[in-house]
Amino acid sequence: MLFGRHTKNPIKIADKDVADWKYTTCGYCSTGCSIEVGLDAEGKAVTARGVADAPVNRGKLCIKGIFEHELFNSANRGKTPLLRERAIDAYREVGWDEALDHTAAEIKRVQEKYGRDSIAIISTGQILTEEFYTLGKLTRGVIGTNNYDGNTTLCMASAVSGYKRSFGSDGPPGCYEDFEHTECLMAFGSNLPEQHPIIYWRLKMALEKRRFPVIVVDPRVTMFAQMADIHLPVTPGTDLVLLNALAHVILKEGLEDRDYIDTHTTGFEEFSALVAHYDPVTAAGICGIDEDTIRHVARLYAKAGAAMSIWTMGINQSTHGSDGVVAINSLNLITGNIGKPGGTSLSITGQCNAMGTREWSSCSGLPGYRALEKEKDRETIANYWGIDPGFFPGRRGPFMTDIFPAMETGQIKALWLIATNPMTSMPNIPRIRKTLQNLEFLVVQDAYADVETTQYAHVYLPAALWGEKEGVFTNTERRVNLVRKVVEPHGDSKPDLWIFNQIAKRFEQGRKIRFPETPAEVFEEMRELSRGRMLDYSGMTHDKIEMQRGIQWPCPENAGSGSPRLYADGVFQHPDAKAKLIPLPFVDNNERPDQQFPFWLNSGRVVEHFHTRTRTGKIGNVNKFSPTPYMEMNPDSAKELGIGHMTYARLISRRGYAVVLVQLTHRVPHNMVFIPFHFHECVNRLTLGLLDPYSRQPAFKQCAVKIEPATDQLAAAAANVAARSY
Amino acid sequence: MLKVGVDKQGLAFIEASCGGGCQSHAPAFKARPNEPAYALLPPSNGVKVNQYGKSIQLVDENDPLAGQSLNINNSPAVSSNPNRYQQHGFHFTADNCIGCHACEAACSEKNALPAHISFRSVGYVEGGTYPDFRRVNISMACNHCDDPVCLKGCPTRAYTKFAEYGAVLQDPDICFGCGYCTWVCPYNAPQLDPIKGEVSKCNMCVDRLEVGLKPACVSACLAGALDFGVVETAPENRVQNKLAIPGFPDPEITHPNIRFQQVRELPREMRRTDSMPLLYVKKEEAGKIRYQPQVAARPRGITAGKTSGREWSFEKLRSREDPLVIFTLISQCVIGSFLTLFLGPVIGLEVLSVNAHPTAHMALLSGLLALETFALVISTAHLGKPHRFYRAFNNLRYSPVSREVAGIAVFYNALGLYTLLSAVPGLFSRPLPHELISGLQVFSGWLAAASGPVALYAMYRIYRIKARPYWDHWQVATSFYGSMLALGPLAVALVYAGVLVHQGQAFSGLLAVLAWPIALGLSMEGLGLIAHARDLERRGGEAAASRMEQRTRFGKTYILRNTGLALAIALVGALGVTHADGAAGFWVWALAALLIVATALIGRALFYVLVIPTTMPGAFFWRNQGFEQHARETGLARMPQVGVLPDAH
Repeated sequence: MLFGRHTKNPIKIADKDVADWKYTTCGYCSTGCSIEVGLDAEGKAVTARGVADAPVNRGKLCIKGIFEHELFNSANRGKTPLLRERAIDAYREVGWDEALDHTAAEIKRVQEKYGRDSIAIISTGQILTEEFYTLGKLTRGVIGTNNYDGNTTLCMASAVSGYKRSFGSDGPPGCYEDFEHTECLMAFGSNLPEQHPIIYWRLKMALEKRRFPVIVVDPRVTMFAQMADIHLPVTPGTDLVLLNALAHVILKEGLEDRDYIDTHTTGFEEFSALVAHYDPVTAAGICGIDEDTIRHVARLYAKAGAAMSIWTMGINQSTHGSDGVVAINSLNLITGNIGKPGGTSLSITGQCNAMGTREWSSCSGLPGYRALEKEKDRETIANYWGIDPGFFPGRRGPFMTDIFPAMETGQIKALWLIATNPMTSMPNIPRIRKTLQNLEFLVVQDAYADVETTQYAHVYLPAALWGEKEGVFTNTERRVNLVRKVVEPHGDSKPDLWIFNQIAKRFEQGRKIRFPETPAEVFEEMRELSRGRMLDYSGMTHDKIEMQRGIQWPCPENAGSGSPRLYADGVFQHPDAKAKLIPLPFVDNNERPDQQFPFWLNSGRVVEHFHTRTRTGKIGNVNKFSPTPYMEMNPDSAKELGIGHMTYARLISRRGYAVVLVQLTHRVPHNMVFIPFHFHECVNRLTLGLLDPYSRQPAFKQCAVKIEPATDQLAAAAANVAARSY
Repeated sequence: MLKVGVDKQGLAFIEASCGGGCQSHAPAFKARPNEPAYALLPPSNGVKVNQYGKSIQLVDENDPLAGQSLNINNSPAVSSNPNRYQQHGFHFTADNCIGCHACEAACSEKNALPAHISFRSVGYVEGGTYPDFRRVNISMACNHCDDPVCLKGCPTRAYTKFAEYGAVLQDPDICFGCGYCTWVCPYNAPQLDPIKGEVSKCNMCVDRLEVGLKPACVSACLAGALDFGVVETAPENRVQNKLAIPGFPDPEITHPNIRFQQVRELPREMRRTDSMPLLYVKKEEAGKIRYQPQVAARPRGITAGKTSGREWSFEKLRSREDPLVIFTLISQCVIGSFLTLFLGPVIGLEVLSVNAHPTAHMALLSGLLALETFALVISTAHLGKPHRFYRAFNNLRYSPVSREVAGIAVFYNALGLYTLLSAVPGLFSRPLPHELISGLQVFSGWLAAASGPVALYAMYRIYRIKARPYWDHWQVATSFYGSMLALGPLAVALVYAGVLVHQGQAFSGLLAVLAWPIALGLSMEGLGLIAHARDLERRGGEAAASRMEQRTRFGKTYILRNTGLALAIALVGALGVTHADGAAGFWVWALAALLIVATALIGRALFYVLVIPTTMPGAFFWRNQGFEQHARETGLARMPQVGVLPDAH
């Protein structure tokens, strides 16, 4: 020692006594990080770390992943099925048989009485791909309702729709490795440091090696905006105008990749005629970005040898989210930036397995990117499952956001919710509460017994969590990665796969169709159904996936590894093998601020929370960074209204009101406030959620509110505490 | 031996293996065979001396301190890390931090910390107006300082600065939870856990360093912001080794081993989002840009009560330091009383001698002893681990706390012996000659008379903390000695007035004399306060912020105390001059006594609650005292995952 004690005690440093490390994939967002969970000698999960040689995260984890092992024993995990006759009764604990018998009987009763489509099934982006496939088989092949969708409609539907319109199929064409090659990156409504910190790290490391311009389009001065070379603080809901203007400048100045357009796209004439109307002067007046900057950015992007665009909810969650995605795709098509290293159109996905549900759940069609609308696809799947092709509807049914209104007015009588929490995540919560109370039968299948929807449910089925079961996730860059079972399911909770299989057994048709017991057997079916298709899984097995720490599809049978990019050959999935350039007129249908409701209400994510906080709200070392809802507000506007820092304010929209703690910051402009969307009884009491015409995704991020100081601060504080059970 | 290479995927890895000489003991930390390159400790750039002129090499290879095992979790392994005896430190690129909490999370996870404490915290300052706005996040843990004030301040010697990496480590098994290190550290690094009753802090992940890996927080960084290595060796791609950034306390206090890069220009004013009424303003001096702390308009918050002007905030006078309010005032009173009683007869106040009023004298002595016993019990109970109280003497060499406790202990024991020998002079007369006994009595009396004021000097030194500018002023001395002079004679005066009235004698003679030390003590306090207020404003920063709180949040209470003090000085002065006696005199004395005690209590409570330390900026929720208080008041803190303990006391 230099100072201090002469006789040193041994230094004590916490040692988790890890006896074994188990490989798995993170169950939060779609970045797809490989995690090792450390188990002590008793098999209890005690720690987690990033897998050192994983191609995605290279040993790193974000705050949520670092504490993910604490989920297994977190508060209010469901331990046993609950059942009640009426939603006004108290729940009683029941065995699985009783819960499943009752659920199956109720589904049959409702379908017999009101028709096959009178039950809706709404799933998630959180469960394993094998489970999605099995749920799809159960829903499309056994129960036979066409009111079947996932909560991915709230986050990724616009990206799916935009990819399909531009390229003929869903499927993000790029990968994280593109950061290493790109010469210009443009991010639309994507706040990587909060939403996808590991992807941000990948970008940052690429920038440390080689500088290239980063342009961030976001109405808020996020950390990403602050780190960017150019920040474009766009007027909410007008990104399509900006995109059309960028295309306008590129075409007008002859900066487009004429060869690529001619060889690989259709629709150029209509497209160029449309963007001709969006000159930078006109556009500047709408989108709030000055004409010079628009021209500068357009030239920068078009002249870069390889340029890429990424986007997240800022594009997807808007009234023209699908159009925004198509416009980004078009920007990359006219500059020849699809399928080449560093040149791509990469949607940064939300949930850990949003991709898995898009590929395999049959929500929007049939497994393996097949369409209900195609007779050949219906026949292939019906034959493989051993059912009559006529059992399938001829076109996809309503989206989640159209299913709720149908429940509100009684066309749908029963609902099965799987790992999703519409009571916090849907826009206009007052309406959702009313709707759920209308149901004759509601089943909630979730890992947490305190998920808010259990207030109105008749049956609660406790599901096993990530890491308590086995299967695969697909991440943002199409990488299929493996979740190994790390610990046994909590209490008497069961893997979703087991629950689906048990329900299937309770239907006559379900007993005729094969429902494999193990995830590996289910994976075999997916391999077979994917063979030779764009999303070819046939070269993958669970063990090979673990060995390579994830494999990017397509990975054909004899390929050693996966494919980093799609469309590298310029062959697209439209029947003519070309990509479409689509003219996109801008229609301003947002609820804009006016005299009565003078503020834009914007919402988004914070890094420490995931979605509706059913998981992160229980873990102190994660939750403590924002344990209660808050609002970012401009200090100048607050001063005019007499609202102080760290006081409660009341927000009123045309839907309802919310009380929230105020943080004054110049991150937001004078006419906008920002509220994280994670909190129950908060921002979505206010939101309008106008639907995109193609993707039916709600515009969470654009509506109008007025704000006043809460006159009784103590009452406001008490109301806030009363709204939080976690 | 550390073997570094590149694996099949092109990722660098490190392999810890045992070449010829090293022992075959397993290190405490089990590194993977393929740890990624970013997690490996980099080589040093060879700089020998740090920016403060201190050698970076802490001991040479032949030093007896070299080649020892750190005994981490009893592992006898000795690392062959070539830079093991070089001072290591963090490097923070403030331009890059995104506030993602990965460093904090990795630290809390590795060290198995409960939600309410953390060794590393990220706060921020922000400036500019939309959209020309910048937020600067600051990730801060222990800086393993060259001049570790925690180590010097700790009375139990729980701290050690190791020759290995220059790590300043704290041993919770030695700590008794007084929290003094949390007062002296400018960076909020030591964490007092009220549940465990002990402090713990960043351990530099020395277990990872021993196997060639950077600390967990650094290895977790997702923005290229936090790095680590031999101090003054800037990481790859970094060009600066700055000593401070806006919001970072004056590095001259402790010579911290952290270096910064902050290249991008910042707005002139950087504001805090937490409840500390501070902002940082750009100053250019001799071509060097510095951000100086200045008083910010008090953030209005639900916890701030009314929004402007002076308030009472009586309920906010209570704090975790309440026992210290009682302990310091009682100790100062008891010392003053004893001095009055012991020295009074020496300077001719015969009425105070044992012979004049034996019962009263003895009762008063015993009362003082009982009072001080009570004060010591209270202050010991205030420790996180009271049963370890005896460790308070461990650091007489450096710690003012140890010295104060030693001084008070000498005074207390001398007072006890003096009281005992005065009460029962014949107690030891059988084995010991009478002269020795009486000599011992006189000696113990003089010892108590001398050690009391010395103890108060040590007590004063406790508060001369650079990281707490409000306390770092000579006014603390005038307050402590002033209280000794005012409260001590006052207690004697009240007791003797009672006795004299009871015996039908006049008390004005004695009390008129005692009025003078009382008036002197009160005046010292008053003058100290005037100078203190002036200097606080002049010094700016946290000192001026405390001053603003004094005038606003506690404005009415402050005026009440000052008025009470002035009135007490006037009354006691008048009593000294007029020799008032009888019922009228009694009531005026009673009023004066009430004023003096009340103002002393309020004044001392203000002394503890008004201090604004030079802590790092917090965030909106985490490390924001305003939110913590709000969470406690509203019941949010009852949910453990909020990370705020429901009861701060």
